[in-house]
Amino acid sequence: MLRTVALVCILLLPAPALAQYPQKAIEMMVLFGGSSATIAQILADALSKELGVPVAAVSRTGAGGAVGYSQVRSSPPNGYSIVWNSNSISTVFHSGNIDFDYRAFEPIARIGMEVPALAVRADSGWTTLKQFAAAARSRKMRVGISGRGSFVHLVSAALFQKMGVEVIYVPYGQGTAPAELLGRRVDAALQWPSQFKPQVDAKQLRVIAVTSPARIPVLPAVPTAKEQGYDVDLVMWRGLAAPKGTPKEVVTRLENAARRVVASPRFKELSATLGFEPAFLPAAEFGALVARDDAAIANLMGQLGLKKR
Amino acid sequence: MIGDALGLTTIAATAAGSIVGLFFGAIPGLTFSMALALVMPFTFGMEPVPALAMLLAVYSGGMTGGAVSAVLLGIPGTPSAVATVFDGHQMARKGEASVALGAAVIASAFGGLFSLAVMVLLLEQVAAVAIRFGPTEIFALVLFGLSTICGLAERSLLRGLIAGVLGLMMMTIGLDEIDGVGRLTFGTVQLQQGVNMLVAMIALFAIPQVITTFIETRADENVRGSAAPWPGDVRAEFPWRRLRGYWWLMVRSSGIGTIVGAIPGTGGPIAAFLAYDHARRFSRRPEEYGKGELGGVVAPESANNAVMGGALIPMLSLGIPGDPATAVILGGLLVHGLQPGPLLFDSNLDIIYALYITILVSWVVILLVQLWGIRVFVRVLRVPPHLLGVCILVLCAIGSYAIRNSVFDVYVVAVIGLFGYALQRMRIPLAPVVLGLVLGPTLEQQYRTALILSEGSHRIFLESPFAVALFALTGAVIGWQIWSSLRTGRREGT
Repeated sequence: MLRTVALVCILLLPAPALAQYPQKAIEMMVLFGGSSATIAQILADALSKELGVPVAAVSRTGAGGAVGYSQVRSSPPNGYSIVWNSNSISTVFHSGNIDFDYRAFEPIARIGMEVPALAVRADSGWTTLKQFAAAARSRKMRVGISGRGSFVHLVSAALFQKMGVEVIYVPYGQGTAPAELLGRRVDAALQWPSQFKPQVDAKQLRVIAVTSPARIPVLPAVPTAKEQGYDVDLVMWRGLAAPKGTPKEVVTRLENAARRVVASPRFKELSATLGFEPAFLPAAEFGALVARDDAAIANLMGQLGLKKR
Repeated sequence: MIGDALGLTTIAATAAGSIVGLFFGAIPGLTFSMALALVMPFTFGMEPVPALAMLLAVYSGGMTGGAVSAVLLGIPGTPSAVATVFDGHQMARKGEASVALGAAVIASAFGGLFSLAVMVLLLEQVAAVAIRFGPTEIFALVLFGLSTICGLAERSLLRGLIAGVLGLMMMTIGLDEIDGVGRLTFGTVQLQQGVNMLVAMIALFAIPQVITTFIETRADENVRGSAAPWPGDVRAEFPWRRLRGYWWLMVRSSGIGTIVGAIPGTGGPIAAFLAYDHARRFSRRPEEYGKGELGGVVAPESANNAVMGGALIPMLSLGIPGDPATAVILGGLLVHGLQPGPLLFDSNLDIIYALYITILVSWVVILLVQLWGIRVFVRVLRVPPHLLGVCILVLCAIGSYAIRNSVFDVYVVAVIGLFGYALQRMRIPLAPVVLGLVLGPTLEQQYRTALILSEGSHRIFLESPFAVALFALTGAVIGWQIWSSLRTGRREGT
């Protein structure tokens, strides 16, 4: 708390260049659609109230984020163009679709996390990963994911590797994996919990594991993979970053605004309804996390033969 | 809550949403998906019912708006209006723009209300059927849609096929959906995002037409005389009587739209093409299609608006969005703490009823605004074509930029547009190119997903009776087409 106060005091000191920021609208690049885009809009709305200038969530989807990342990277590093980023910076880089990695950006703050969850049909009879693994040894399972080389693909690969089973990965876009599961065309699906929530509540689907280090508030009854004896710790982080070379003071200003937004009850409430887990992390720690995850993702993609760089 | 649905705020929100949607739908390049994303933040602070009302109204308004520019300018305002261009624009050229627009509005409202009725009465049953559509079935359905190339090929089957393949090829540019591997990108990041379907459509429909207009205007000394004819008094031309023979077609097309909309992974453009082809095939005057036949407007317009109700079925009953627009609406529901899915009907039945009423109200608003608006819209045709051409070029540039906030897409419009003009000069029809654009990505993705499911065995396509039936139908259509084109000796040869 004291540190926050100190930081705010420093910000208020009459250093001309920094007392000026922000002067005009800030563009926040959004790389994907769906619920993460809705969260981005909520965040942008709240940030503009904090900063006193409009913060526009500009959608620049396509090519797995490659286009949006390239655009922000080549914007002037003055804090007026930032990106709503995620682990996709690592997957896009290692799949060879862009020629720069996370080091082309200054981390601002982590905003929250999304935790992949493995769901099966409620009538399948499997309630634990052990049971699923046993069944998967007698018959090759089909697992719905979001596209090869996507983050959930990597997470499932890590999980099934630990479980020692081979599965068929079936890529589905546009959040249709639950429908494929209900339609009995796949045996399990690894997706974001919010996608499964309606069917889980209606007892048509069952989530048997999440891949976070601790249980998540949306699904408190679901044990983690680690609890079940498979040491997997992979979650999707979402945060803000600015092009490399953005002044430290500007980053700090954004970081503090983000901190206040994430701490606000309104943001927490809206996040909960969208199945998003707010989890603020300051710039330095966020940067360390990004680097650590990048190494893990590079390693996983290498094992899967998806690493092109 | 039901009271809320008829409250002043809700009706105001519905009216505002419909008009915003109409506006975005009618301008080529501005899409209702974009309008939904823009309206979304406004709904955060609203009560749930007016917020939902506004989003739904933008959706339905946008779907109908697409027909306006399809008919008047010959450019689809939204991808779903693509099949409306073929006959709608021809009608406008014959001086029947107001009839075409009137019919489009009525067919749209009919389609929308039809799918609403299906949603209210048969929600669970339709959802249960839709969920049985896996990659194999969708592939078969889309392949059947592709066989309609024959019908769009105009004079030469061969040229039609060339055009169709060009369309399919165009959509392979960029990162593929399944493996995330770049294709035909020449190492550039910009090409990785691929060719956006709507950008390509704008280019193919608008640019060749504008170029032709400019050339003709230059050749024609009396510029004013070459202006399109003023279509006459709207009320005198009000299409109730003309529509008399088309009600049954509207019902069938709406049925097609509702079912296709309910299948996750398909959408408006596919439904519109299927309905258009169906209308032509079962018409007593199939040769009139493409030359300004009213059925060619009625069928796709009722189908693409029926898609809306169809797409809402899996969204409400399963929490699975059927297309990008319903995905935004899903976000809107979630923000207000409403989780669609099987339990929504137990926990928030009042919201569901409010939603039904809202859709009904939005159609009333759209009908009133559009029928009144026709008189304003058709004035566009009074603008001399060469000036209109300039306006269209500006709109194309703005629109293609706005779709993905991408300047690169403006260049794409120029390149594909010139390519389209070259094709036109070579007498290669553009409609099959567009069909390839619309169906290509779905066709490829579903085919490959099916093969992944079966670990590479094609037998999976024969295991589904529905798919087999569709394959047989496709084969019959192609066979019949080849036979009839041989018989009439229309084949132009090589």
